[in-house]
Amino acid sequence: MNRLNQLFTSKKDNLLSIYFTAGYPAINTTVDIAAALEKAGADFLEIGFPYSDPVADGPTIQHSSERALENGMTLNMLFEELTELRKRVTIPILLMGYFNPIVQYGIERFCKKAAELGVDGIIVPDLPMYEYEQMYSSYFIDNNLSNIFLVTPQTSEDRIRKIDELSNSFIYLLSSSSITGGSLQLTNSIEDYYKRIKAMELKNPTIIGFGISDNNTFKQACTYANGAIVGSKFVKLLEEENYMEKIPGFIKSIRP
Amino acid sequence: MKIKVCGLRDPENIKAVAALGPDYVGFICYGLSPRYVAELPGDVLKALPANIRKTAVFVNESAETINSLIDKYAFDVIQLHGDESAEFSNSFRNRVTVFKAFGLNDDFNFDQLTAYENKVDYFLFDTKTAAYGGSGKTFNWDMLNNYKLAVPFFLSGGVSLDNMDEIKKIDHPQFYGVDLNSRFETAPGVKDISKLKQAFDIIRNKILPMKYGVNEHGYYGDFGGAYIPEMLYPNVEELRQQYLSIINDAGFKAEFNDLLKNYVGRPSPLYHAKRYSEKYGASIFFKREDLNHTGSHKINNAIGQILLAKRLGKKRIIAETGAGQHGVATATVCALMGIECVVYMGEIDMARQAPNVSRMKMLGATVKPASSGSKTLKDATNEAMRDWIANPVDTHYIIGSVVGPYPYPDMVARFQSVISEETKKQLLEQTGKELPEYVMACVGGGSNAMGMFYHFLDDEQVKLIAVEAAGKGVDSGHSAATTFLGHEGVLHGSRTILMQTPDGQVVEPYSISAGLDYPGIGPQHAHLYKINRAQYTSITDDEALQAGLLCSQMEGIIPAIETAHALAQLEKMTFKSDDTVVICISGRGDKDLDTYIKYFNF
Ligand SMILES: Cc1ncc(COP(=O)(O)O)c(C=O)c1O
Repeated sequence: MNRLNQLFTSKKDNLLSIYFTAGYPAINTTVDIAAALEKAGADFLEIGFPYSDPVADGPTIQHSSERALENGMTLNMLFEELTELRKRVTIPILLMGYFNPIVQYGIERFCKKAAELGVDGIIVPDLPMYEYEQMYSSYFIDNNLSNIFLVTPQTSEDRIRKIDELSNSFIYLLSSSSITGGSLQLTNSIEDYYKRIKAMELKNPTIIGFGISDNNTFKQACTYANGAIVGSKFVKLLEEENYMEKIPGFIKSIRP
Repeated sequence: MKIKVCGLRDPENIKAVAALGPDYVGFICYGLSPRYVAELPGDVLKALPANIRKTAVFVNESAETINSLIDKYAFDVIQLHGDESAEFSNSFRNRVTVFKAFGLNDDFNFDQLTAYENKVDYFLFDTKTAAYGGSGKTFNWDMLNNYKLAVPFFLSGGVSLDNMDEIKKIDHPQFYGVDLNSRFETAPGVKDISKLKQAFDIIRNKILPMKYGVNEHGYYGDFGGAYIPEMLYPNVEELRQQYLSIINDAGFKAEFNDLLKNYVGRPSPLYHAKRYSEKYGASIFFKREDLNHTGSHKINNAIGQILLAKRLGKKRIIAETGAGQHGVATATVCALMGIECVVYMGEIDMARQAPNVSRMKMLGATVKPASSGSKTLKDATNEAMRDWIANPVDTHYIIGSVVGPYPYPDMVARFQSVISEETKKQLLEQTGKELPEYVMACVGGGSNAMGMFYHFLDDEQVKLIAVEAAGKGVDSGHSAATTFLGHEGVLHGSRTILMQTPDGQVVEPYSISAGLDYPGIGPQHAHLYKINRAQYTSITDDEALQAGLLCSQMEGIIPAIETAHALAQLEKMTFKSDDTVVICISGRGDKDLDTYIKYFNF
């Protein structure tokens, strides 16, 4: 059991997770931002490591990634910043990023290092299920790291069942097939999709992400899932001056 | 994997088998077989296309008879099925290709083959019977593990639809082809066309892709796969499940071939470049993809994919483009089919290939600038992928090269393979031999090169040369020489070789040629590079522009700057005077006139 599993056993509703890009707006801010988010009430966090070609991301996260790379952020540097992580942050932490930087770092080495620093799970949108299962799952399992899979409205029922089998903390439900940063309108078809997933009675909790940006979208998501993830909206806040002071207010605006 | 159909005699049946496109057809020319016929239909044999090799099967026949039958029927191949010696076999090799057949049983001693090394072209392993083959029985195929020589072999004896799965498991580097015979007959000497067709489909597409082809998980050796986010999975999976059955469908093929012929203008000429031949001291041929409608090879793939998209019921097409050639080709086929078209193009490329931007607009496409990252081809590809994520149901993404997640690299290679298919036929017609010594092409993502290499991959004696863009020099920091500067990693959905930092960030490439300005290569190229089946070199901007000028002034052909890279490679090669060299002239230089004019101050 890692921190994620403990969280999901003790708390089943209205979970709030926040995504932000490491190295943005500046280096050496990762743990400060994480600690402030924990203090403000976030239940768990996704720390993004930047990539030059983020195909699943919209303009906001593309921009934060570009800036982070300009600031010199690398996986090595992120791991250095995270040496302090578990002295200051107790909530579950996931790392999120694209596969190529992990391949270059070494997949096994990456898993070991992340676990050693107190990371609980990994989200790699472009690591496919077949390759994960055939080649890499042992690195995750041996290091007690959860691998998080995404599900979209187009994912077939068979595939969702298989994802449920391979998952051991939560399943990331995309509100729609979209890149990050879109705006979400709750349409009938999205509601049908949420209901369809709920009716499947999966063994893993579900968390909804992509397009969650305010209390309204958060509340809607939480009617159907165990919680929701806010990404682009928070990354935008980091562009503002005195963003550290604004974090508690931001969390309240999403989940009063 | 080659296919030989053996034991034919009936004129109509021969024609029907030929229509399936086997690599070899065999005629029994000895007295003891039930399939023996005294007189073969000479006119039917003569009318067979040159790329179907006519094979005569003999058992302990005299040299005199063999030679007279070769004369009479113009056989390309003889298959010696008796106790012929190595010397005897070798004595025909100045006239024809020689197969030496052996009947195998559990006691077979492979040492006896050593004497035949360098004396025959291929072995054919059959099941040992009292009656020199044709029994319909198999031998124990595990025995093949004991065969260690470097002569490629055909598998014969009892091959049938029932043992295709076992054939698939034969993993031998010299396994070159299968011989289909008695298990595909309705009567002795009469082949069952529908059974053969099934076998051809299985062999060609599912079970035995070429040795250098893709496996069922989408990999070429260590490269390939489908590294895509879940949002793209349903679309890519739909393609994966359907592409082979769609493109092998007779109706699809007919429509594809008709458009290639009557709309694109294929076959494109294979032109013997006489002044170039003189200059470089070899027989140099240009495969003229520049003469295709829209001016490059890109249209072959665009036609294939638009027909596929229609069959998948898609209503909207997206594409990325670098030089604009693929964008123009895609806009063209969308106009042809009346389908909405959106093309993503890097902002920098839009400026340096302005005429193509206007062409796309005139053809009714929407051109959307990609303004992130390096603002060139890789960023256009990112934008196209993002569009596809957001439009998961009704949109097809026509990728323009042999890159992207499986099945794209294989699918695009198949659509482009018409280049080498035609080349083989044309070479045979023009020179009497179908295999050149060298085949050369430029590589951006690698689609013209893959099309040019495709049907030569299994012919190991053909040297394949792929030319990348060195930009201002491989060490200058402004280059796109991927195999030289890159490392293994994941880009745009496949594991391949790409230019990147030690931290795995994709490096922005540079080349004066927008079509080669890409930080990766297709996964099949990465594989051919890694196992040394093809040689990868690079040419600088300056060398390419000079070669473009030379070709213009010596052959009257202004090539695309991409193509000029392949031409420039000639300067660095040394040929023997009887070498035959084929270069893919992937596109014409109209779109590059501005660049040429500025460089040469015309
Ligand atoms: C004329 C021409 N040749 C070559 C290329 C390179 O592409 P590929 O390597 O896929 O053939 C392009 C790409 O735009 C092109 O326009």
